[in-house]
Amino acid sequence: MHAQSDPIVGIQGLHKWFGALHVLNAIDLTVASGTRVVVCGPSGSGKSTLIRCINGLESYQEGALRLAGTTLGLDARGTAAARRQTGMVFQSFNLFPHLTVLSNCTLALRRVAGKSRSEAEDIAMAHLERVRIPEKARSYPGQLSGGQQQRVAIARALCLNPRIMLFDEPTSALDPEMIKEVLDVMVALARDGMTMVCVTHEMGFAREVADQVGFMDGGSILDRAPARAFFRTSGHPRSPLSLETILKH
Amino acid sequence: MGFDLAFALSCAPIILGAVGTTLFVAFVSCVGAASIGFLFEMVRRMCGVAGAMSGFAIDFIRSTPVLIWLYFLYFVLPFYGIRLGSMTVGVMGLSLYYSGYLAEVFKAGIDAIPKGQPEAARALSLGRRDTVFYVIAPQMMRNIAAPLGNYFVSILKATPYLAVLAVPEMLGRAFDIASETYRYAEPLVVAGLIFLALALVISYGVKRLERRLLAGGTR
Amino acid sequence: MSLFDIWLGILKGVGTTAAVTAYGLLFAVPFALVFGVGQYLTVGVARLLVTAIIEFWRSSAVIILLFVFYYALPVFGITLSAWTVSAMVLGLNAGGYASQAVRAGLQALPSGQKEAGAALGLSRSAILLLIELPQALVAMSPTFVNTVIQLVKATALVSLVTLSDMTFRAKEIAQVEYNPVAIYTALLLAFFVVCYPIALAGRWLEARIAAPGSRAGGI
Repeated sequence: MHAQSDPIVGIQGLHKWFGALHVLNAIDLTVASGTRVVVCGPSGSGKSTLIRCINGLESYQEGALRLAGTTLGLDARGTAAARRQTGMVFQSFNLFPHLTVLSNCTLALRRVAGKSRSEAEDIAMAHLERVRIPEKARSYPGQLSGGQQQRVAIARALCLNPRIMLFDEPTSALDPEMIKEVLDVMVALARDGMTMVCVTHEMGFAREVADQVGFMDGGSILDRAPARAFFRTSGHPRSPLSLETILKH
Repeated sequence: MGFDLAFALSCAPIILGAVGTTLFVAFVSCVGAASIGFLFEMVRRMCGVAGAMSGFAIDFIRSTPVLIWLYFLYFVLPFYGIRLGSMTVGVMGLSLYYSGYLAEVFKAGIDAIPKGQPEAARALSLGRRDTVFYVIAPQMMRNIAAPLGNYFVSILKATPYLAVLAVPEMLGRAFDIASETYRYAEPLVVAGLIFLALALVISYGVKRLERRLLAGGTR
Repeated sequence: MSLFDIWLGILKGVGTTAAVTAYGLLFAVPFALVFGVGQYLTVGVARLLVTAIIEFWRSSAVIILLFVFYYALPVFGITLSAWTVSAMVLGLNAGGYASQAVRAGLQALPSGQKEAGAALGLSRSAILLLIELPQALVAMSPTFVNTVIQLVKATALVSLVTLSDMTFRAKEIAQVEYNPVAIYTALLLAFFVVCYPIALAGRWLEARIAAPGSRAGGI
């Protein structure tokens, strides 16, 4: 058991190399329970790699990464246990195309959490209603729009009742008119108290729900602050420029 | 001395009498080729000597004609004391030859699955066995269904090669008629048309299957 | 007979193999281009006709096609040498497959290419010859390489209509010398030695085509 005050994610001195490329450079990050962290930055800054490390989808060479009380990277079983408490939403949705929306959500409930079919379907339907898409339960992903698919992906991750949700640029692959429906769901999730780490360009969203904002470039976190301070002034010479350009478009 | 249409029509039922053998040989060879091909591909994905050897075996098979493999097995196996019926040898030859091509089909079918799929499964904490069974395999099956169907047609069109091994399939029947009546044109044309019809009908079925699979929800 | 003698004996047939391949390409390439473009350009009844001709040559079982033309043509009063019949049948069969690659290559071009050509005031045939075909042919050159390999392998069949290619030579040797392992392994190797380098050249071509100007896409 861990104390309520234990951070859900604790990263210290994290380094990662892809061959000779130093993609993550001395990353320190703490995510307390019930808080929202938004990570932004230009392409290639390493922010996607960072969030994928948090979930164990990428390995790291140096440093310490603790997720939900387990140190990742030591053994497979520990990583799997930590992952069960984490939900992840991908930029390209990654819904299973050969399963219905409902089956996408119930698959892990039945195979991992061991729920019976009716239990799993009840839980799945509740979450599909939460993301406001219950009527599409029997449809296939290919029949849905991008925004609908991403909302299903969020519901699918929520079904396992995670302690923390990770979002890897969830709206970057969406047409502009669909971004709002996904962000609305994420804002509602935040208001319900979910711990979240989001990699995103959506600064409006960050301003609304983030407790902490981090700016990454070249593999390092160059600037971080509580949200209000971040949006008023930024310490690092790069960040104001980047924010300005992001907010302008 | 022209083409005797009435005689040709009378050949048809005799030749068609062997269609069961033809289809049986094609089906068993297809299953054999898929099994061996799948194994080849799985081994090829492994690193090291075994993987490289498997890759080379696939390339070797695909660089040689199927007729030669039939001769090879038919004459070499008895040399080592293995005496099998000609149909068995024929099926073995077709399976071996087409396994090289089906290995490539499996490779393409697995490679076509987006990397995000197993990642999403891992993120959902699905174990390896569940990921393969519920996420990877179904998508692989959908990807290979049409190419597999097309190779079934190819294998079907290769079954007449077995006539040189005296297997009682349709071309063999046609030659039987020819050698009895000394009329070659009619039975051969009939056999040719039967195979053409089979190939076209099954190909059309495969195309419809492909359309249905693509409509089943992949954007 | 030593292994070396067997190998040399089989290679005596390589001239025939090469000649039939070359002669066959004389049928395959024009057919593929004409009918591939034809299928791409035509609509309605004309297209059905073009497709029917392509399908006849492509979907027939090639061994039966060879026998049919070899035995049946004389019945209709057409006498051709075994060389011509073989080259024609094997070539048109391969051409049938290649025509699908030509058509697919043309269909895969972005329609903007045609539109740009039309905007420049070029005639339809000019657009086809100067803009569409050059691009499409480059894209499908690996498939043409596969067609050549297919043709080389198919020449093994001509041994069944009395032409002395490598396979025929092998069978001749087999009649005087009981050494099936050496003979048929040598025959497999002979084809491998011819086809594998061509296959590697095809793979190299494929890599070179894919590399520069890789399609934009992917997130």
